[in-house]
Amino acid sequence: MTNHWIDLKNSDCILIMGSNAAENHPISFKYVTQAMENGATLINVDPRFTRTSARADIYTALRSGTDIAFLGGMIKYILDNNLYNHEYTAEYTNAGFIVGKAFGFNDGLFSGYKKNEEGPSMGSYDKSTWAFEMDADGVPKIDRTLKHDRCVFQLMKKHYERYDLETVSRITGTSKQDLLTVYKTYSATGKKGQAGTIMYAMGWTQHTVGTQMIRTMAMIQLMLGNMGVAGGGVNALRGESNVQGSTDHCLLWHIWPGYLKIPQSSNDSLDAYNKAYTPVSKDPLSANWWQNYPRYSVSLLKAFFGEAATRDNQFGYNWLPKVDDGKVYSWFDLFDAMYKGNIKGFFAWGQNPACSGSNASKIREALGKLDWMVNTNIFDNETGSFWKGPGMDPSKIGTEVFMLPAAVSVEKEGSITNSGRWMQWRYQGPRPLGNSMPDGDIIMRLGHKIKELYQSSGEFADPIINLKWDYETHGEFDAHKAAKAINGTFTQDTTIKDKVYKKGALVPSFALLQADGSTASGNWLYCNSYTEKGNMAARRSDKDAPNNIGLYPEFAWCWPVNRRIIYNRASVDLKGQPWDEKDWVIRYQGQVDDGKYVSGKWVGDVPDGGWSPMQNPDGTRRTDTKHPFIMRKHGHGQIFGPGRADGPFPEHYEPLECPVEKNYLSSVMVNPTAVVYSTKADAHATYDPRFPFVGTTYRVSEHWQTGLMTRPQEWLMELQPSMFVEMSEELAKLRGIRNGERVKVASIRGALEATAIVTKRFKPFKIGPDTVHEIGIPWHFGWRWPETGTEETANLLTPPAGDPNTRIPETKAFMVNVTKL
Amino acid sequence: MKLNRRDFMKISGVTAAGIAVSGLGFDLKPVKAHASLLKTQYAKETTTICCYCAVGCGAIVHTSRRGDGRVINIEGDPDHVINQGSLCSKGSSLKQLVENDRRLTDPMYRAPFSDKWEKVSWEWALSTIAQRVKKTRDNSFEKINAAKQVVNRTTQIASIGSAAMDNEECWIYQALMRSLGLVYIEHQARI
Amino acid sequence: MTKAILIDTTLCTACRACQVACKQWHDLPAEQTTNVGSFQNPQDLSDRTYKLVRMTETVIENRLKWLFFPDQCRHCLDAPCLSMAVDESAIYRDDLTGAILYTRNTRHLDPEEINVSCPYDIPRAGNDGIIAKCDFCNDRIHNGLKPACVTACPTGAMQFGDREDILSMADDRLKRVRKKFPGASLLNPDEVSVIYLVAFDPSVYSDYAVAQAHQGRGGISRSVALRKMIGPLARMMHIG
Repeated sequence: MTNHWIDLKNSDCILIMGSNAAENHPISFKYVTQAMENGATLINVDPRFTRTSARADIYTALRSGTDIAFLGGMIKYILDNNLYNHEYTAEYTNAGFIVGKAFGFNDGLFSGYKKNEEGPSMGSYDKSTWAFEMDADGVPKIDRTLKHDRCVFQLMKKHYERYDLETVSRITGTSKQDLLTVYKTYSATGKKGQAGTIMYAMGWTQHTVGTQMIRTMAMIQLMLGNMGVAGGGVNALRGESNVQGSTDHCLLWHIWPGYLKIPQSSNDSLDAYNKAYTPVSKDPLSANWWQNYPRYSVSLLKAFFGEAATRDNQFGYNWLPKVDDGKVYSWFDLFDAMYKGNIKGFFAWGQNPACSGSNASKIREALGKLDWMVNTNIFDNETGSFWKGPGMDPSKIGTEVFMLPAAVSVEKEGSITNSGRWMQWRYQGPRPLGNSMPDGDIIMRLGHKIKELYQSSGEFADPIINLKWDYETHGEFDAHKAAKAINGTFTQDTTIKDKVYKKGALVPSFALLQADGSTASGNWLYCNSYTEKGNMAARRSDKDAPNNIGLYPEFAWCWPVNRRIIYNRASVDLKGQPWDEKDWVIRYQGQVDDGKYVSGKWVGDVPDGGWSPMQNPDGTRRTDTKHPFIMRKHGHGQIFGPGRADGPFPEHYEPLECPVEKNYLSSVMVNPTAVVYSTKADAHATYDPRFPFVGTTYRVSEHWQTGLMTRPQEWLMELQPSMFVEMSEELAKLRGIRNGERVKVASIRGALEATAIVTKRFKPFKIGPDTVHEIGIPWHFGWRWPETGTEETANLLTPPAGDPNTRIPETKAFMVNVTKL
Repeated sequence: MKLNRRDFMKISGVTAAGIAVSGLGFDLKPVKAHASLLKTQYAKETTTICCYCAVGCGAIVHTSRRGDGRVINIEGDPDHVINQGSLCSKGSSLKQLVENDRRLTDPMYRAPFSDKWEKVSWEWALSTIAQRVKKTRDNSFEKINAAKQVVNRTTQIASIGSAAMDNEECWIYQALMRSLGLVYIEHQARI
Repeated sequence: MTKAILIDTTLCTACRACQVACKQWHDLPAEQTTNVGSFQNPQDLSDRTYKLVRMTETVIENRLKWLFFPDQCRHCLDAPCLSMAVDESAIYRDDLTGAILYTRNTRHLDPEEINVSCPYDIPRAGNDGIIAKCDFCNDRIHNGLKPACVTACPTGAMQFGDREDILSMADDRLKRVRKKFPGASLLNPDEVSVIYLVAFDPSVYSDYAVAQAHQGRGGISRSVALRKMIGPLARMMHIG
């Protein structure tokens, strides 16, 4: 989330699309409700009428997978009716940037496309054709009047010209009247002083066009001036208590802690690596924050290897693994390699892929090809016990399995980071049950065992022997020691701006991290979280900031540097005064002499950089300032996104499996850069009479993820005891299905049994000449619990296809059949 | 940890002395002693953050100071600025997550081609896993790739997880995995 | 000053935290349920389910509505079940809080009688014959805590406080809600300690949303009928 949970109350219009917040983030509705009590409008767009819809002022349905068409229509509406924030769009976004002559878009394809014969990626773009034009100094050419025919604004206008109401309605199945109502209501937040926010989740990420769905909304938010303001932002409602923290610490193949890039094989030295990933801007007004990259990467290496990391050995850079240039090692690719027998050992740590992975049958089969697996969890699960699951013959499965019992969160101490980036400390209640153990202790002990083995011999033992591994007190994992290492320490007495920092002192903030080895920091983003002033995450003050908008700056801690609303320098006009006087985030209080600021300071939230405002009160431009989007190379919010794999503007494509014969916007059916796998376990079927209905997956309030932490609980099973499928009364009639009876739901990849919930909350869609039915199934179940073994996960049905930017699977839109048992 | 907002509604003149709560209804001796002791009266109080979704709600854990030292009650923390005491159905059932006889309480082992789990010791489990890691890693370790570039990795061991761990655990976990040379490192954020 | 709860159903999201929080605080066991084609479960109140969010899908003025009704004992100011029992060791009222409390001695009462005496169809007996229902979390109230369900409620659909304050809050809420839902009403506010605010015809939410003469579960006995006539229910029926 660019903003945070409490901030929802400051909104004037809340769009819930691609999430079901009332059910899956129930406490968010404390603040949604408060906003509504203060006059905000709640809009909900979802294929199915949910508990969120039940509370919405405006609800309308769209067919799964058509969100870009829906939102592209909103962009057109905003532009046609001149509803955008002109100053914001021209000054803070790249709307005025001139795009090079090589850029083009024709019938669903951007310039530079090349089909890929090999897979799994269907194709790729030569993005050099999407580059901005630069002036002689290497600064992008900008027309802030937005009139140049190759400026981003004009190109955007042209791109979405095609997204008229008629076409959008034909694609989405949403009536023109409903589209207009949503467009009109939401785009009213383009007025100064009005804030609109978006609450989205997996309903947007889990598509072959997922990244671009989010980008479409980000473009709308930028144009309406909703980024950086209270009650605005682009808010991803993250689904797990510490999925934000585990992402920040980068338990992901492509990034190192703090979103540093994984080194590629061609980055053959630390210098080459730093050079490759440190962006350079020639614009003196661009903060280009990532120019500090080497400070963060070297400090990280010092955290990994401590004293052993020296300038002479490139701080241990070559001790860490490199990926091959251009090769992808993501979830899909990992299980594809395992399925092909190329992975021998596997840790499934606090995760249940036998139920959570798309096309789960392939994953279950892949687990049987391992030599060994370590499964750490608090309950036995479908992954650890896969060898005795449905259709498995244990006598034919050679995988050796170690199942390690982990403690529950309340049995240990440490921190987690919520969706609003708040790092919060939690304490130990009871001791771990039985012989279960906190993950931290299991990891530490395993590390010691491995280190012992490598003391005598072993391949390339240096990184293992030199790994700093002292996060214990009295033989037990000490979360405080690890938290301090993550924050960072000075590795020697260091003087910065006349201030002396002693060796071992905690670094106060990432601005002080160094690239010479004098600081160690496990994650620069968390530098400032545990300082000489104490454990910031454990703070509990309910005192609000002077703007009184619910920031609570001394309750817990949030990254970066306790900034509660990021991009907040876009919440003010060029003179540093808030767009919204009532719910302001920051404001510049300056001494003015002769129309010019002569000194001053920002008050309110921690500003996104402390530079002075862009302009003086008399309207003259200042040179000691920076553009507000400081993490972007050019300092501007990106309406044009030339870094994306599938195009600088979002374009509607159909899901890999879809119920229509043609894409009404172009002759390109599916995202031409989507990722699709091709083993015999990876079948897909589109516009196929055997699988005539759209299927989508979701969660319910009473269960969580694969259900492993809710299915063993009888209180929750009482509320939602079994797998179900929701369908319209019309579809039930078509199939002769009665409410409450068990039915079969099948895709080309598998089938499962579920209880039919025949409901008015699903309605058939009118798509062009066709009537399209959609059904929905939760993914919370699995054969291990309940012990009947009859309830299975929706992921037996979901497809082997993903978004080209993230490789997140398309589990929100695929094709199924439903029949009586 | 200060808990200060919860005594705002004390009923004056009523002393908390009387009877224990039973599972179903009340034991009634004497007939009109309503003011029963709370089941949490003598428990240790700690704060936690809910382990389900990422709203980050605060909860209070009441742990018995007697006997087995287990959890008696978990409810929303009224002093937490986000949830102010409220929780959802999952958060409200946290106690049953912790105090659940289906939990794993010992390391278990399944031998190749076996049809059962066997209880094993931590010492044996961790030593054996370390040996398996070393064997697979050493057999598969690539110092250079096909293009003769230094890569220092193994692609034959993979790891997934976990957003269910604390930040500090996540950090040491990725450090251990990367020191071993793993490149297949993924978790919940990808799905 | 007795206590009261306001349940504003227009704010309820059916997250069912109240249902679980109730079981959690009271250490009540779960019921074995099956999905019968609805999210609502269990299907009814029982001696181990004191609080139940009833869920109804309906179309009102051409708009689909999914209505939620967190059902529970109303803790009547003049409780028919109490008069019916005539045994203070089994059913009594805590005059400080207004809670109507059932003890283990309810096992000596006729469960059918007690059930049919309730205009809201609340009390249920278990296999052990003990009759049970919501106890207002009277122990919590006496110790300065809100009832477990109210504490858990995310949206503020449930409010707890002194009766006078809750009544005035209910009137304020009604005025606000009527701007959006002109047909909104408070249910039996002068008779009960748990006051519901509904947006539409109360009978759509639950058969017993407002006080109803009870038809009984297994046929009503003559003696029960006679006692009903002299009990306070007779008065309530006219109001309902």
